[in-house]
Amino acid sequence: MSLRVPTRIVVIGFGMVGGRFVDELLRRDTDDAFDITVLGAEPYEPYNRVLLSDVVAGRTDVAAISMPMPDLERVDLRRGVSAVSIDREARVVVADDGSRHPYDQLVLATGSEARIPPVPGLGTGGAAGLPAGVHALRTLDDAREIVAATVNTPRAVVVGGGVLGVEAAYGLAARGLEVTIVDGAPSLMARQLDGPAGEVLADGLAARGVTVRAGVLPSEVLVAGGRVVGVRLGNDDVVAAGLVVMSTGTVPMSGIAQAAGLTTDRGIVVGHDLTSPDDDAICAVGDCAQPPEGSRGLVAEGWDQARRLAERFADQAAARAAATAREAAGLGRPGGDGPGAAEGPRAHLRFPDQGERPSMAVRLGTLLGSQAVTRTPSDAGIETRGTDVVKVKAGDLSVVSMGAAGLGRAPRPGERAVRLADPAAGRFVEAVVADGVLVGATCVGDPRVAADLTAAYTRRTPVPTDPAFLLLTPIMATAAPVDSPEHMPDDAVVCRCNGVTKGEIADCCADGKDSLEEIAAATRATTGCGSCKEAVCGIAAWARSARGEAADHMTSETQVPA
Amino acid sequence: MTDTHCPYCALQCGMSLAPGTEPGAGGASGTPSSVPDGGRGAAGSAPDVGPRRALPLTVTPREFPTNRGGLCQKGWTSSSVLTATDRITTPLVRHSLLTSAGQDAGAADLRDDPLVPASWDTVLDLVAGKLAALRAEHGPESVAVFGGGGLTNEKAYALGKFARTVLQTPNIDYNGRFCMSSAAAATNRALGADRGLPFPLADLGGADVVLLLGSNLAETMPPAVQHLAGAREAGRRGTGGLVVVDPRVSATAKLTDDGAGVHLQPVPGTDMVVLLGLLHVVLAEGLADREYLAERVTGFEDVARSVAVWWPERAETVCGVPAEELRRVARLLAVAAPAHGGRGAYVLTGRGVEQSAQGTATVTAAINLALTLGLVGREGSGYGAVTGQGNGQGGREHGQKSDQLPGYRKIDDPVAREYVANVWGVTPESLPGPGKPAVQLLQSLGARPAAAPGAPARGGSPAAADVPSSAAASSAAPSAGVSSSAAPAVAPPGGAGARTRPRALLVHGSNLIVSAPNADSVTERLKSLELLVVSDFVPSETALLADVVLPVTQWAEEEGTMTSLEGRVIRRRRAAGPPGEARSELWILAELARRLGTPGETAPGAVRFPTDPAEVFDELARASRGGVADYSGLSHARLDADEAASGPGFFWPVPATPTSAGPSASAEPADRGTPDTGPAAAPAPADAQIHPGTPRMFLDGFPTPDGRARMIAVDHNGPADDVRPGAPLYLVTGRVLQHYQSGAQTHRVAELERLVPEPYIEIHPVLGFRIGVPDGARARLTTDRGFVEATARWTDAVRPDTVFMPFHWSGVGSVNRVTTDATDPISGMPEFKVCAVEIAPVPDGVPPGSEPGTVPGATSRFPIRPESAPTLEETPA
Repeated sequence: MSLRVPTRIVVIGFGMVGGRFVDELLRRDTDDAFDITVLGAEPYEPYNRVLLSDVVAGRTDVAAISMPMPDLERVDLRRGVSAVSIDREARVVVADDGSRHPYDQLVLATGSEARIPPVPGLGTGGAAGLPAGVHALRTLDDAREIVAATVNTPRAVVVGGGVLGVEAAYGLAARGLEVTIVDGAPSLMARQLDGPAGEVLADGLAARGVTVRAGVLPSEVLVAGGRVVGVRLGNDDVVAAGLVVMSTGTVPMSGIAQAAGLTTDRGIVVGHDLTSPDDDAICAVGDCAQPPEGSRGLVAEGWDQARRLAERFADQAAARAAATAREAAGLGRPGGDGPGAAEGPRAHLRFPDQGERPSMAVRLGTLLGSQAVTRTPSDAGIETRGTDVVKVKAGDLSVVSMGAAGLGRAPRPGERAVRLADPAAGRFVEAVVADGVLVGATCVGDPRVAADLTAAYTRRTPVPTDPAFLLLTPIMATAAPVDSPEHMPDDAVVCRCNGVTKGEIADCCADGKDSLEEIAAATRATTGCGSCKEAVCGIAAWARSARGEAADHMTSETQVPA
Repeated sequence: MTDTHCPYCALQCGMSLAPGTEPGAGGASGTPSSVPDGGRGAAGSAPDVGPRRALPLTVTPREFPTNRGGLCQKGWTSSSVLTATDRITTPLVRHSLLTSAGQDAGAADLRDDPLVPASWDTVLDLVAGKLAALRAEHGPESVAVFGGGGLTNEKAYALGKFARTVLQTPNIDYNGRFCMSSAAAATNRALGADRGLPFPLADLGGADVVLLLGSNLAETMPPAVQHLAGAREAGRRGTGGLVVVDPRVSATAKLTDDGAGVHLQPVPGTDMVVLLGLLHVVLAEGLADREYLAERVTGFEDVARSVAVWWPERAETVCGVPAEELRRVARLLAVAAPAHGGRGAYVLTGRGVEQSAQGTATVTAAINLALTLGLVGREGSGYGAVTGQGNGQGGREHGQKSDQLPGYRKIDDPVAREYVANVWGVTPESLPGPGKPAVQLLQSLGARPAAAPGAPARGGSPAAADVPSSAAASSAAPSAGVSSSAAPAVAPPGGAGARTRPRALLVHGSNLIVSAPNADSVTERLKSLELLVVSDFVPSETALLADVVLPVTQWAEEEGTMTSLEGRVIRRRRAAGPPGEARSELWILAELARRLGTPGETAPGAVRFPTDPAEVFDELARASRGGVADYSGLSHARLDADEAASGPGFFWPVPATPTSAGPSASAEPADRGTPDTGPAAAPAPADAQIHPGTPRMFLDGFPTPDGRARMIAVDHNGPADDVRPGAPLYLVTGRVLQHYQSGAQTHRVAELERLVPEPYIEIHPVLGFRIGVPDGARARLTTDRGFVEATARWTDAVRPDTVFMPFHWSGVGSVNRVTTDATDPISGMPEFKVCAVEIAPVPDGVPPGSEPGTVPGATSRFPIRPESAPTLEETPA
């Protein structure tokens, strides 16, 4: 009976993770088991926040960051509407436009906001109260304002040397600005890179017009006439700048949860099942959530959570439907065509043992379940592996980090870490291996190796016996490439299409048939795609000259008596 | 001297055949001077290991647009197969079937029941009797037919007609389901028609960029490499290049060396991510052809939004191709596109990306990229699928596919049913509805398996629909009528479906226990049949399982037509007589039809089965009239005349009249209401033969309802059988130059067999070190489905997380024993190209193929497969 009334899902937040959750749920909801309402504070169409640094860099068309819109026939989407409170007793969300949204399940995907440190000159109003010329980089508006500001100033300071700070600095430099990164940590991207790797990155940035001031905090943001003019550092150096980008971390937006009496710490505390320990009708995903394994603020983690939560909701709906159907099958009349049956569970949900093809919801439930079994090692609990790969979007400056990495990494027993430091060439690679798989890696300046490390890490493919092989693109030791027929081994295949070797061509020439036509007729070399013609001519010429030399040699030997 | 084409791949290289020389005289062609004696071929099973016959015909390459006078080694040696020492020259039948006791002996041990020669009349009577009895007892669905992409157009047509009119079974499909169905489904959906290359192959030569995804044509169709020269030169000039996407450094990937282009080496099963990333870059960098999109395409907006989540850095973390390489390739393509003044660009897909549980979606992504760049339906640019089998194109047009009628018509389209039924002289109601696609058909054969084999297909049951449009809904009506007339089967306990399982199978032009995925389970299915009839010219592995083997003609012994990878209809010509009592399939089908009659018709033979290929072609042409693949303006005579005059050839559609090409097919066949009257009715009006054919399709619009191409958003799901603990490596499969498909032909050519005598496993040295398998040692690959053993070859052409095996062998080295039979939810095409395996050394002294001792997870990982797994018992409604 419960299926007659769809489960009411209210989602607060329509960002990268909230939108993804809705999409994941809709894809699994083929039987209209859910009634979905979404409240999104931003007035814009959904966009890819990850690409804001590309917008700053001028590397992407703003139109190209628009994300898919959900099917508005199936979702009640309220854009520009913020949730203001949650009434957990009544299970209702109250919004700033006065509307009230009852729920059976509430999903919090409120995200995070830029953290503005208490530095003199920045005011105390958070991101909203910053002086002109100072911007966070969190929203599309921020990105647009930063781009607009680049027109009027030749110098910029980026405060914070994390991933976003590096991307912003790279992007501003690409626009021709003179950029300085100011970072309190001893080296850049300290969460992902250890010292030597951070140094290599700093060198790479320097080569692209970015000055790195690491190990020093800004002591004051200098403002004149309401506009920023520079930043004073802790060592009293002053860096002039008409544009300051604050990339000093984020703070989960957990206020609404806190006000509703849910446990919050750094973010909204949830269990492995992404559900609040205080209220099993409330879940949180993405940046606002604080699951047991922690949160790194990466979109891949949030998307993974969105998928897991949608899967769970769909499974539960299918299980409920199955239970009701079985109940009806047990209690109802055979045939089920009476009025009672029509009032009962949905007739179109069919199950595998009912003699007909099972309906989509049931089949999807089966499939997703079985996939989860095949993909999740039973001993690993919640599988989050692979969602913590950090790949910096900085064009040809390749920086990747994953798993066990970073300045604060404490080596664990059984781990082997091997590294290749090649600062002069702008390269640093470290691979951390345990139990035969890659558990962490850092790679600066070698995109090919970085891509291979990522594949090995996310898929847990077996690592080489000697992990040092991971530091380079492993190639077979072969003889130097053969560039002359003389050094080519006889069994080297010259004409692939017809499997003709150098030896066979040479033999043919030795028989006196050394024109291209004669060789082709005798051996079929060059008669396929024809791309070996040059090589065959080369061998023929070599064979001719070798014969000539041999003849000369014979002559001279006969002339000089032994 | 007979001008014809090579018997092997879809390139259909031109060649001439001349009578051969005497034994020992040596061939002008350079073939070995003696025919191999006592080669392969299952001693004892093939009684006709007769005296050495005359040497093969002599092959000479011939100028033809696809091969330009080139031939690969397979082509040069192709005539050897004509005189294979174990050629079947007489019908063969199980001894027990010749005695009355054997009629219901069932599955006796084949070794105790040899195949013995018998007369044609005996075996045809026997087969017809068995088929009639099965139909009477279990209904028409109890007989199934499996065709092949190597059959001529005429044979493919006759086979489909035979199944639908004589057998009246929906259960027909063919091995093209294994190679072309995902490309077909995607192109039909997006472009409204499926012609592999909708442009002449030679057009590639003028383009600045050719993007090849999952195609290793330097190995599979070497002469085609000539057509990449233009792109490779553009690469060296810096104005373009050849771009090859392949997880291996294949022979084709090596063509990008030295500045000729770019090789992208993704993780197996992630080609779609490469495409999504490329499209993202095209849009992010403002490189789309906006004018083209506005005029010729629908659905762009959705697709554009869908790729916003595939920025190159994210794509890199999934597909393993560095983000900057994706950017570079996207820019190369854009610069070559006509919108930016380039000389043109082509996007081509092959089996590497199509043989995937997300194959249709991957091809859709490729088409989306091509459309966004404004390439499709423009001279000098385009999208195409590189067809593999010799008649892989024609084979999918004339009705041997489970969901099709001739002319590439849909079998669930009432208009198409009526039209074709008229041509055949039967009622539309008598035609069965859509059948099961190949994998599902094979798994439904014979006695019920103990446990349903096969991994569940992702995303539900294959619809086997090339055009998953609303039209599919209308299919319920006709097929329901047919099913209701089927013999009622007793619902099995807890039955997942009360459907008739086929108890007999006719196989034509397919060696499916080597070429089908999860091959061991297919062998089990075949063994459980009550009757297996295989038509072949050599004792293939599948023929050796058969109850009845029928000897057939091969390429140089028959007349007919083929349709090449570029949609060009070409003539195959006879240069030699068939050996012994070998006959054409056309004759066999006619004889069976004569014996079986046509249910519902008063007299046997009411539906005609001509045996003259030219006559069959004329009927095929009429049946195709008004269809997507319209051959109605063609005849053998017209093709011959054009060739004799060095004409340009004919690319379909070639409608009989310039105005009859509409999809309505309202033009009534001249012989409406009467059975087909054969060649007497064939001559079309004189003005009907003026259509010049269609070398380049889509120039003026797409054959979709609104004339626009349809872009459809797709996303990446990854392989159905992905790596995990216990199966940590990817297995990819492919071909070698010297062999073709299951090797039934090429293993019988000594020169080819000498060069590549046995299967092998390519492994990276880093992996070899780790697992203790030196170069040249034997290794075993294990999956949930079985194991395979072969010699390891160390090479850095494979990724360290990937192993490669060619698929041309049977027995312990038959890689399809381990490949997954998960299928694409739309096309029904199996995921041959990627699965997860464990690899281990084979200890010294262990005989090849002995059962694994303690191989982890060989069968225990999924002890029970739920009966509800939607791979069985389901027919699209």
